[in-house]
Amino acid sequence: MPNEAIVSATNVTRVFGEGDASVKALDDVSLEFPEGRFTAIMGPSGSGKSTLMHLLAGLDRPTVGGVEIDGVALNDLDDGKLTEVRRDKVGFIFQFFNLLPVLTAEENIVLPLSLAGRKPHRKRFDELVEAVGLSDRVSHRPAELSGGQQQRVAVARALLSEPAVVFADEPTGNLDSKSSEEILALLRTAVDDYGQSVVMVTHDANAAATADRVVVLVDGRIVRDEPATSPEQVLDLMKQPA
Amino acid sequence: MTSIALRNLWARKLRTVLTALAIVLGVMMIAGTYVFTDTIDQAFDEIFTESNKGIDAVVTSKQAVKTDDAQDPPISASLLPEVRSTEGVAAAAGGIFDPQVAIIDKDGDPIGGNGAPSFGSSAQPRRFETLDYEGRAPRTANEVAIDKTAADKAGFELGDRVTVAGKESARPYRLVGFASIGDVDSFGGASIAVFTLPQAQLITGKQGEFDQIAVAADDDTTPGQLAANLTQVLPKNVEAETGEENTQSQKDDVGEFIGFLKTALLVFAGVALFVASFLIFNTFSITVAQRTREFAMLRTLGANRRQIVRSVALEALLIGFAASVIGLLLGIAFASAISSLFKATGIDLPSAGNVIGVRTVILSLAVGTVLTVVAALVPALRATRVEPVEGLREGIVVEAPGTKRLRTAIAVALTGLGLIAMLGGVFGVIGGSGAAWVGIGAGAMFLGVALLSPRLVRPLASLVGLPLERTRGVAGRLARENSVRNPGRTAATAAALMIGLALVSFVAIFAAGIRGSIDDAIDKTLGGDLILGSTDGFSDIPLTPVKAVEGVDGVAVASPYRYTQYASPDGDGYLSLVAPATAADVLKLDWRQGSDQTLTDLGPTEAVLDEKFADKRKLEVGDAFTVTTVSGRKINYTATGTFKDNTDFIGDYAASDVNARAYGEGQTTTSIFIKLDEGADTDAVRSGIDEQLKPFPTIKVQNQQELKDSISSQLNTLLGVIYALLALAVIVSLFGIVNTLALSIYERTRELGLLRAVGMSRRQTRQIVRYEAVITALIGAVLGLVLGVVFAITISRPLADEGFTLTIPVGSLLLLMVLAAAAGVVAAIGPARRASRLDVLEALSYE
Repeated sequence: MPNEAIVSATNVTRVFGEGDASVKALDDVSLEFPEGRFTAIMGPSGSGKSTLMHLLAGLDRPTVGGVEIDGVALNDLDDGKLTEVRRDKVGFIFQFFNLLPVLTAEENIVLPLSLAGRKPHRKRFDELVEAVGLSDRVSHRPAELSGGQQQRVAVARALLSEPAVVFADEPTGNLDSKSSEEILALLRTAVDDYGQSVVMVTHDANAAATADRVVVLVDGRIVRDEPATSPEQVLDLMKQPA
Repeated sequence: MTSIALRNLWARKLRTVLTALAIVLGVMMIAGTYVFTDTIDQAFDEIFTESNKGIDAVVTSKQAVKTDDAQDPPISASLLPEVRSTEGVAAAAGGIFDPQVAIIDKDGDPIGGNGAPSFGSSAQPRRFETLDYEGRAPRTANEVAIDKTAADKAGFELGDRVTVAGKESARPYRLVGFASIGDVDSFGGASIAVFTLPQAQLITGKQGEFDQIAVAADDDTTPGQLAANLTQVLPKNVEAETGEENTQSQKDDVGEFIGFLKTALLVFAGVALFVASFLIFNTFSITVAQRTREFAMLRTLGANRRQIVRSVALEALLIGFAASVIGLLLGIAFASAISSLFKATGIDLPSAGNVIGVRTVILSLAVGTVLTVVAALVPALRATRVEPVEGLREGIVVEAPGTKRLRTAIAVALTGLGLIAMLGGVFGVIGGSGAAWVGIGAGAMFLGVALLSPRLVRPLASLVGLPLERTRGVAGRLARENSVRNPGRTAATAAALMIGLALVSFVAIFAAGIRGSIDDAIDKTLGGDLILGSTDGFSDIPLTPVKAVEGVDGVAVASPYRYTQYASPDGDGYLSLVAPATAADVLKLDWRQGSDQTLTDLGPTEAVLDEKFADKRKLEVGDAFTVTTVSGRKINYTATGTFKDNTDFIGDYAASDVNARAYGEGQTTTSIFIKLDEGADTDAVRSGIDEQLKPFPTIKVQNQQELKDSISSQLNTLLGVIYALLALAVIVSLFGIVNTLALSIYERTRELGLLRAVGMSRRQTRQIVRYEAVITALIGAVLGLVLGVVFAITISRPLADEGFTLTIPVGSLLLLMVLAAAAGVVAAIGPARRASRLDVLEALSYE
């Protein structure tokens, strides 16, 4: 494998609640994400896929185990440093509420950079906006954009700073099929043309098939971890019991 | 539905507490005001009732002019035999009760001061004695009894030597008793020194005179008959009242003052409640909007409109009533705080235990509760417009488009009418109380601007927010955008602060104007180098030291100057009594007709007139006019000159002081103006004068600058009280900011989660909230300052003729802006913390 792991989880367990009411959302999961690859994390509701993503992205802390992003161990970080890691090394795409309604598309795209007090690289910004097809919409507010356009703004925001990894949580869950295809194509291009690492949580087999690799979680454990080939193959992966 | 209202209150504790707190503060002020003034009232009642105990009738002089210092001229002692021989009189005794005697403490300074009277009185024969003595009453000219409070203040014990100053040189007496009246704990700042009758007459300069004659009726005569008999035989300038009438008229005099105090305090309480009602309205508007879905859900489940209004109104009723009860209880404690506030500024008022009237309780509870319910009613009615289907939709109810234009029209009309009412009140064009019209006008303008302010929020937010955005980057940008997101909400929050700041800035501007015009008056008119006046800045001083001061090396002229009042059928007014021979040396008049020589030549019935007075009365030089003095004497003056007096230093006219006695100022003077010899060493002369003034501890020497400074510091004391009372309204409005921010943050939880996820630090989160608070506060400040300036310009218009020059104290107003911004920062502390502590995952919870 020429690719180094950009994100890794080692023996990660996450327990919610205490005593009898406690729930083990993740149970001793270890996983590596090589640089420049597109990974889909799948699983039924309550399988722990979102919890895994939150831990990998530094939004939550594991009960046991450790997470590393781009060589930085997240366990050792306080809230401030963790925030900086999210800001500088991670890009996010969520299903809903991706954008701040009071900011224009452009301001939303450059938000992580603004928060860091940095200026975007103008050429990169223009290229990116061109690539996501929003050149003529950058001064609009989210309310003036369609759902697909809003999600493309979110993609542009996640990609702008060339983060170590982009996490996408059901990025197409709220979109029609045409918009979904556009978003997935954008992510695919980012991986192929720019070597961007992407981790996507989804329950849509078509979306997962766009990825290079599919990881399936059931009851907080990894039951499958294979290269993705086609939607049919992904569906099969989901159906097969561990 | 009742249990839903209760649960809502409980579930939103913070909001409930903050809303309630606003009402608590307002009600506290109302209750405190009533308790405070009722207590003073009662204390005075007791003093006056006790002091006329056993007295059937009182003979005093008839006051022809109602003067500010309310000191009746004395009556001749020769009336006493006449009184005694009147039919129905069993016994009569003359007494002295003079408010200008000072007990000197061990450091040589007068006890009390600051305008509270310091009485000198005579011990009465047993039958008329109304004071109780611990120890005994004075029996010789060398003995004195003083009140316990004054004695405690200065640490005097029975047997000590106590110095008392009056019209003559101060001298020591032996302390033989502590005097008290009834159950009165304290006379307030007032003190009393009791002497034998002859010594009391001597020290007050009333030899051969009494302030009053106390009369007891024989067994066959009622007090009413007695008073009637006396009135028949006594001269016209003397009146006889029954003891009860006298007590009542004394109460009435004081009642006027207490009434004024009560009104003033209630105005401040009203302002705080007015501000609180903005907060209540805003809080309920926001929460009702946030609960749109909940209401819609209830509607789908079959709740009807009335049930929903009732639920919201009940919530308001519960908050209002509970807060009013707490406010009432705190108000009782607050009464003591008001008393301390006045005491701290040297205005000490008497007390005899807190008085809590039924009226106080009912009014406080009613005002607080009703106001809360009324302020909540508009949002409650709006809540009923929620259609069940809206429960399924996203977002918040939008205002119907038609109301916006109507609202602007009402806002503009209210503002305009408010200004007209204010102008009308100021110029006395509208009937009724001018002050009331000004108040109504101000209230209407506040409401008008508050209604208009949602439209002003966007531009103002840009104005005050742009600097933040420039320097603070994305946090500033988000704060500004958040503040204009819901302009109505920001506007109502800012408007609450606007009210307090408008009043504060109005007072600041007005005070600056008064200070300027006083300085101007002193600069323009006062020619003397040094001024002798009372240490308390209010009282008259004895005339006696004039001679001694004139003898000091380096003093060219010592000229007594009296500022006093006259009455006339065409209106009462003020005048100056001057010593003609020396007046021109110490007063600079801007002559229209005549010259300084005219002043020097002023005869006993000649006067020089202020041009404005001459114009008003259509008087020319050579014309005559008649005035009545305080003693009832009519003087027919001939005008011999006119001068221009923009600053109204002199009053309507200046006349010779040979008639000072007729004006009730025979032994006293307002000030003594001193002119020094050319090239005299001021310091040396001052120490010479100080030496001569040693026996007169109530007199102080000041140069012009010191005089200005001391007037200015008195003004500052008054301002301090006003600001302290206005602070309450400002504090209430800060709760408003806290409340609005907290509710907005609650609404934006998911956004905050997103921001935190994409890399916003806790610090930046706090900044956003803080800047939003600052922007809101500054919007309120800008609106408030503008209104304050408008008020000041409007209200000072009629004073322009009297030398009031309006100056905008830019520095003070800028300071107010900074303070408002700082207050915003303080208000944001809690909400900002909350926002930054949000759990990112919970905030994002989309699953």
